Amino acid sequence: MKQKFVRSILSGMLAAAAIAMSSTAYAANYDLTVDYVTIDTGETQTRGIGYNGSSPGPTLRFTKGETATIRVTNNLDQPTSIHWHGIILPYQMDGVPGISFPGIAPGGTFTYQFPVQQSGTYWFHSHSGFQEPDGAYGAILIAPQKREPFKFDREYVVVLKDKHPHSGARILRNLKMMPDYYNRKQRTLSDFIDDVSKNGLTPTLSERGDWGKMRMTPTDIEDVQGFVGLINGKSPRQNWTGLFKPNERVRLRFINASAMTYFDVRIPGLTMTVVQADGNNVQPVKVDEFRISVAETYDVIVQPKEEKAYGIMAQSMGRSGFAFASLAPRVGMRAEIPPRRTDAPLLTMADMGMDHSSMGGSGMDDMSGMDHSTMSEMAGMDHSGMGAPKADPFYASGSGLIPKAVNGGKFLSYSDLKAQKPLYADRPATREIELRLTGNMERYSWSINGIKYEDAEPIRLKYGERVRFKFINETMMSHPMHLHGMWSILDAGKGKWNPVKHTININPGTTVYSETEVDAPGEWAFHCHLTYHMATGMFRKVIVEGGPAVAALKNGSQ
Amino acid sequence: MPKFNSPLMRSIAISAFILGALAVSRAPALAGAGHSGGHDAENSLQIGAPGKMSDVHRTIKITMEDNFYDKEKIVVRSGETVRFLIENKGEFVHEFNIGTAAMHADHQKEMLIMMEHGALEADKINMSMMKMDMGNGMTMNHDDPNSVLLEPGKTAEIIWTFPKEAELEFACNVPGHYESGMMGKISSQ
Repeated sequence: MKQKFVRSILSGMLAAAAIAMSSTAYAANYDLTVDYVTIDTGETQTRGIGYNGSSPGPTLRFTKGETATIRVTNNLDQPTSIHWHGIILPYQMDGVPGISFPGIAPGGTFTYQFPVQQSGTYWFHSHSGFQEPDGAYGAILIAPQKREPFKFDREYVVVLKDKHPHSGARILRNLKMMPDYYNRKQRTLSDFIDDVSKNGLTPTLSERGDWGKMRMTPTDIEDVQGFVGLINGKSPRQNWTGLFKPNERVRLRFINASAMTYFDVRIPGLTMTVVQADGNNVQPVKVDEFRISVAETYDVIVQPKEEKAYGIMAQSMGRSGFAFASLAPRVGMRAEIPPRRTDAPLLTMADMGMDHSSMGGSGMDDMSGMDHSTMSEMAGMDHSGMGAPKADPFYASGSGLIPKAVNGGKFLSYSDLKAQKPLYADRPATREIELRLTGNMERYSWSINGIKYEDAEPIRLKYGERVRFKFINETMMSHPMHLHGMWSILDAGKGKWNPVKHTININPGTTVYSETEVDAPGEWAFHCHLTYHMATGMFRKVIVEGGPAVAALKNGSQ
Repeated sequence: MPKFNSPLMRSIAISAFILGALAVSRAPALAGAGHSGGHDAENSLQIGAPGKMSDVHRTIKITMEDNFYDKEKIVVRSGETVRFLIENKGEFVHEFNIGTAAMHADHQKEMLIMMEHGALEADKINMSMMKMDMGNGMTMNHDDPNSVLLEPGKTAEIIWTFPKEAELEFACNVPGHYESGMMGKISSQ
């Protein structure tokens, strides 16, 4: 046991060294193989899918202005594909089978080639079946041509993953059979009796009735529990470690490559300065903690000053699991895992979009409907010396999901994100498209405007227009919506400084707007990035009509 | 209190401070890195004092961009008077501020309040709000001789006499900029 533990520390260090080393090698050409691999979390060994023999795959580095050429050879006995998440490219290179291209057959090779027009932190993953939850993902780092608007002495990729012992296909089968199959936090009869004694019988029955009508339960924050959180492929026990010298500025490039899990990230003892979101620089903002939705990226700068190990703690939003890694001045040092929060949040009526307790009061700053009972057990929270924090407008008033920093400090909100250099001039949208995010939890089926992908017409956009998407989340889960091929300008109320993202999270009971300058001809995917929501129908094809003719692309292999 | 090895050095430093204060026809109260108040005299002894043009033998140009300076560090001679010509070539408001790390840390808190109250925006300074009383008899007005806060395209000058020895930094305390690396060490030789 002990020996095994030492070995996993060593392999964590080797991984750190490999990542540090690869930061010097720039290449515009890559060869990737898609392989069956063994994923070892220190507790379980499962067969998964990786690239060049490992999961996560290698970190791909480019420089803005280069032409990227990536030859992908499929060594699986099933078709595969790679989608370059957040990368602006010709649609035939976007890697979505059935939309961009036919996919890569077993034994086949596909050569992706596209000009690199952007810089920042991105990632890549399979867009076929359940290969991404099974391990087919990796990081993409693109260096800018000019210097960054921030300074750092070293950098690390921090890829988060919810590694489940079951394969993706098995998970969906189980969810279809029993939607709460992986929900270990079901409320019990004794919870019911507690609530009756606290709230009275009638409100309790009425509340249970509302949940029943929604075909959901208040614990449906994470519908796939039982995972191990990985950072750069290492479990908390295996402890991935990034080295630093005290006082160095360290850039951490967080990528949430999870199938289903949002993480709340903190590094006890360090303030993080967020400098980039979804690959685009933002005006720097200091935070103690941030929540990263599935498929998002955040770059932060930290400056550890002491000669000690610091822990990177990423607890899942529903508190059912966590990922952990260390930043350390020396090989072999390991940060202590901080006490985990035990405050598993419960969804409230506000998340259901029907808060009976605060009728009529739905203003952004109205906290009257807030259910404090769900947050009262936050360990170590210190309210002293803090003014009442402003309510985060990206959560429903009274939502059980509203995050609070463990140390009582600053928790990043979407409303803190301001573009450093806006990519587009601000202008009014030419039209609005309403997208209601819908689902039936009982049948584990998810949809947009009540219609699942296979029954839906594509969304047609006109080249040159600026379209405003109105996302109304009518479900009780958060949905990270990802539009391929074009940027999503999040309406954070910042006008010309609104941040430019590739993935927009919409929390339960909220309406969020994003705008897209329709500047990429072709056919694109638009979907919820939660694997099993996407797979069951929360997905649309987008067709961009008009615009410059899309050049025919040469690809010898297809 | 700052460390001075002898009473003589101490009085030299104090007279340099008084001379400097006379040389600039500004508010006599010399603030620290910001408008912290209370420890002004103490801070000014640590960081030096406004200087006279006649003592200037060297001009250092400082270019500010988003979000960095063109210089990583500044080397001055012990007790030297330097003229800084500062230009903001960025698209955001930036500061050039001479102080100790602790003074910058204090000033960053004030700048955060300024931003939260709308006195400071990413690309402009709302002068009318800066002059408003914050309720404690102090304003957010940025008129300290050891710092300039510049909108995009603006230039300014600081003439500064450095102390005999000090551990100083030049820094931009606009929220997030210092942490992003918009700071550098001033070493005296």
